[in-house]
This record gives sequence, C-alpha cells and structure tokens, in this order.
Amino acid sequence: MEEQLKIDFEKFLENTNFSKKNVEIKRKNFNNFIEKGFPNRREENWKFSDLNQIISKNIKNLSFYHDLSKPNKIDQPIFIDGLEHNKLVFVNGRIEKIEFDYEEKNKIEILDDLVLEKPNNANNSLLFLNNAFVSKYFKIIVKKNYFLQKPLVIYNITNKDLVSKTVNLKVDILLEENSSLKLIELSNDKSNTNFININYNFDIQKNSILKNYKIDNNSNSNIKYCFNNINQDTDSVSEIFLLSSGSKFIKNEINCNLNGKYASAFVNGVFILNETKHHEIKTNINHIVENTKSYQLIKGVLEDTSKAVYQGKIFVDSKAQKTDGYQLSKAILLNDNTEFNAKPELEIYADDVKCSHGSASGSLNEDSIFYLMSRGLNYQEAKKLLINGFLLDVIEKITDTEIRNLIKNIMNLKQ
Amino acid sequence: MLKIKNLKADIDNKSILNNFNLEIKPGEVHAIMGPNGSGKSTLSNILSGKKGYDVSGEILFENKNLFELETEERAHKGIFLAFQYPLEIPGVNTNIFLKTSLNAIRKARGEKELDAIEFLKLVKLKAKELKFDEEKLNRQLNVGFSGGEKKKNEILQMSILNPKLSILDETDSGLDIDALKIVADGVNSLRKKDNSFLIITHYQRLLDYIKPDYVHVLMDGKIIKSGGPELALELESKGYENFN
Repeated sequence: MEEQLKIDFEKFLENTNFSKKNVEIKRKNFNNFIEKGFPNRREENWKFSDLNQIISKNIKNLSFYHDLSKPNKIDQPIFIDGLEHNKLVFVNGRIEKIEFDYEEKNKIEILDDLVLEKPNNANNSLLFLNNAFVSKYFKIIVKKNYFLQKPLVIYNITNKDLVSKTVNLKVDILLEENSSLKLIELSNDKSNTNFININYNFDIQKNSILKNYKIDNNSNSNIKYCFNNINQDTDSVSEIFLLSSGSKFIKNEINCNLNGKYASAFVNGVFILNETKHHEIKTNINHIVENTKSYQLIKGVLEDTSKAVYQGKIFVDSKAQKTDGYQLSKAILLNDNTEFNAKPELEIYADDVKCSHGSASGSLNEDSIFYLMSRGLNYQEAKKLLINGFLLDVIEKITDTEIRNLIKNIMNLKQ
Repeated sequence: MLKIKNLKADIDNKSILNNFNLEIKPGEVHAIMGPNGSGKSTLSNILSGKKGYDVSGEILFENKNLFELETEERAHKGIFLAFQYPLEIPGVNTNIFLKTSLNAIRKARGEKELDAIEFLKLVKLKAKELKFDEEKLNRQLNVGFSGGEKKKNEILQMSILNPKLSILDETDSGLDIDALKIVADGVNSLRKKDNSFLIITHYQRLLDYIKPDYVHVLMDGKIIKSGGPELALELESKGYENFN
C-alpha cells in the first residue's frame, strides 16, 4: 500500500496548484501518515474497531487519488423536501454548490483556499491523511450577533462511479460571539467500498449555539471516519445528534473542549444496525474550567450480526469544579449474534463535581411484548412499537422541532 | 361463552393448575378468590395466551379452541386481561398505544378503523366517565403513573375496547376506596347481557361494589367450592386457612 500511497500523493500534488508552503506542510502530514498507517486494534482508541483490518477486508486496491477537475451532476431529488435550507453540496469530495439564499450576505463568510498553518500534531494518523490529501480546505464564518434564519445542510453525496477511492473533506466552522447555526450533515451514498475521511473543526465563541445533526441513514458499503473537534467558549452550547445507521462502517469521533464557564455540550445518538454493519461513537468531553456541563445519551438497536461500539469519556480538569457530566448508553440486541461494546470512562481531577455513567444492553422485554399483544397488536407490531419507543427517547432530545420532525420522518418514526 | 375443562398447567415441571373446571355464560360475572400462590394469575395468563406454561385440557371461547389462538387473536375475539401489574412502556405515548390497539382489534373484526378525531372523541368520553386525567393520556404509557392510575388505565382500555370477556386480575389491589368505586362503576357500566367478567381477587371488598353472580374458591390449583355472593362473605370471616 505504501508504494500506491506515494504514487497517488505525487499525482495529487501534480494536479493541484498548492503554494510551496502548503506543499511542504502536506508532505509533512503525508510522511506522518506513512509512518503510522491506518489505526489498528493495538491502539486503545481503536480496540473495538480495527480500521486497518476493516479497510483491507472491505476495500480492494484502495487508491488515494481521484480526479476532482470535472464537475459532477447533482440529482435534485437528493435535496430535503419541505424544509427551507441553505446548501453546501459535495459530490465525490468535490464542492458543487454553495447556496446561502436565506441569509444576509455579509453575515456569512466562506473561505475555500485555506493553507494549513502547521502540521497537525494530534496523535491521529487519519487527520494526517486528511491534511495531506484534502484538496480544498473550507472555512465558514458566522459573524458576530448573527443567527442563521434557516438551517445549513451539508450534503455529502457519492455516486456510483466512485469505487475504492479515498475521499477527504475538511471544514472549519467558526461561530463568532452571540451567533447561532443549525447544521445538518446528510450523507447519500450510491457508491461502493470507498474510504471517506471527514474532519470538522468547530469553534464556538461566547454565547453562541451550534446544533449539529449528523445523518447516516442510507445503506451503503463505504467505510467512514468523521472526526469532530469542538472548542467552546463561555456560555456556549453545542447539541450534537447522530443517526448512525447506513454505512458498512462509520466511526464518529467527537472531541469537545469546554474551555469557557457555563459552556455545555449535549451528545445524543442512535445506532440502528443490521447485516454486518459495524459502527462506533467515540467521545472525549473535556471539562477544562468550572461550571461546565455535558450530557450524553446513546441508544442502539442491533439486528443480524451487527456491532456497535460506544466509548464515552468525560475528563474533568482539576480547575473544573462544579462540573456536571452525565452519560448513558443502552442497546437492544435483537439476536444472539449482535454485539454492543460500551466503554464509559471518567477521569476526574476536581473534587466538587457531579458525574455519572451507565450502560445496559439486553433483548426486548417479553413481558412488554405480551402486554401489547394482549391489546390486539401482533408480535411484529408490538416489537416495532417497543423499539420506536426506545429510540424516541433519544429523538425527543432534539431541541429544534422542525428538524426533530424531519429526523422522525427519515427514521419512519412519525406517529 | 367460556368453557374450561380439566385444565392442567405446569411451569418448570411444577404443577400450578390441576383439574380446573369453569363455565361462564354470556352476561355473567364470576369471581375467583384464593390465597397467594393458588394459581389465580396463572389462570389469567393462560386465558390471554402467555407463553411458558405446559398446558393440557381444553378451553373453549365461543366454541373455539383457545389454545389454537395467539395472544393478539384472543384480543381480537374479545378477551381482555386487566393486568395485576400493568407494564410501563417508555417512549410509547398512551393515546397512540390506545388508538393502535383499538384499530388493530377493529381491523381484525372487519370494522372501520377510527381516525384521530373519532378516536379522541371516544377516549375523551371514556376518560371522563372514569375520572381519568386526560393530560396523562399524552404521556408515555404507564411511565410515572401511580399504582391507582395504572389500574384505572387498564379499566379505561377495557371500556374503549369493549371486550366480551374481561378478566380482572387483582385490579382492586393497591386502590384506595375512591379509586375502587370508580373502577367498579366502570366495570358495572360495561355489564350487559352478552358481556362477561372474571374477577380475580384476594378480598371480598371489591365484590361489595361489583356484585358477582358466582363466587369460586381456588386452592392448590383447583376450585374447591362454588356458590353465590354469600360465599365471599363466609370466606372473609373464616379466612382461607380454616376454609374447607
């Protein structure tokens, strides 16, 4: 694979016009990736999901370069119907549309030719890979005191021409003081066996609110990794919701730093998996200063031979007194061949904190099924009602009514 | 309406019911009284089709062999069990559950399903009759309900589904006097010439409000004595231990 990587990297550099400085940084990132390679189960973070093995098992002849010079057609029906929204559309990793029709023009700034400032020093080889190969590095800035009128939907579309390729996306989002953004990320894959590597960086300044809904619902054979770094200042709020269901493999990693007092982070998610799907949610919530709050609720419904992993960590710095941290994960295993791995972790260096964690998994409650059947529902109806009820608990945490209803529709939970 | 002949039920090789016989005709109210562990709840579970029992003998409901029907089919045919311990179902809205249940039964009977408006009209009326707080119907099924509210919710379901045979499994336990009266009124309002009731209870108290036609004493898995309402009073004064 190393030979292929080197050839692809040179080809990639040849076909793009990066500045000398940018090329230099990219080379450093590239070398870092070559050195470390894809993560495997020997790394603690990857112990339940050996990405190296998953890629070699599912993708034949993975290539790291594909031509981004020609525009792709966008199938209109892909757009969400019945929800007025701004759009950012990626097709096969190439930006095809930027549309902020509902917003004041000078309140949103979009930069698309950012230079990486220095090699990324995080100990994460996939970020090196991303930095080395990403062709355009985007930044969206929401200006001070501006609340977006409508949600922004980032469509991440792949079409069926794309096979065994690597797609890298990198988007930074800055919410300046007292601003607000609702961001829906919707993936729609018609492609097969690609590796999709996404890197988001959110900077949420004082008093600002980010609501981020990540929806992976249509069934596909791609392998995905999405790393989200979030920095939060005083009185800021982040609300993340993950619908983890469609891809063969996806790991969503969320690293959230609560750097300002009274900052709060909510991470809620559901796994709905069948066949041989394997999904992971990994969180690191870092309470850096006092009076910060985090809440995490993850639920899974697993069928066939699917597997879900939740590694949730709450870190509390010695300065972070009065921290309020909560996490709970639950899974319903619909048969004996499914697997749910939960690794809750608390690392606490302050003494005046309130932190709790819990995890439970089991099969459907047969007594509840009997109760519902005694009221005339057949087994399938009773099972569906119980599962929907189990999941709705998480969906109801979505604070935006319009988006909550959209997600209920997508999940077929509309009552 | 219901004929039970020589019913025998075991669970894990332990005999619960043995040589159990009972016949209930349309319009009749039967009470079964018995001490803890006499097999009362097993009887109600078996009538509504709960799995896990080894059963033999015969149960006919309107001349149909009950053992051939699944739990939901028994509900469609008009059998209703008011649970001793109604289950909490998180995430399931009570109104939506009631509507799903009613329409499943109406559909199986070949009747028109009710739309949201027709349903709400019906449920409002029934809730009012039972003095059931309507606001609770928008909550998750039985979650956070008091013991009394859960029992009332069972009776509300019963009155909405309008079954032919209602089995009340210790519906009186955990009810205060006011709630008991409301529940009894609910039952009495459903008494018609073709609706029957099987009331399972420890105490005679409930039978002050719902007058049974027959009282049966269940001990060690079989009926040891049957009689009229006066039997309940006799039982109350003597206690189960000295009875025989």
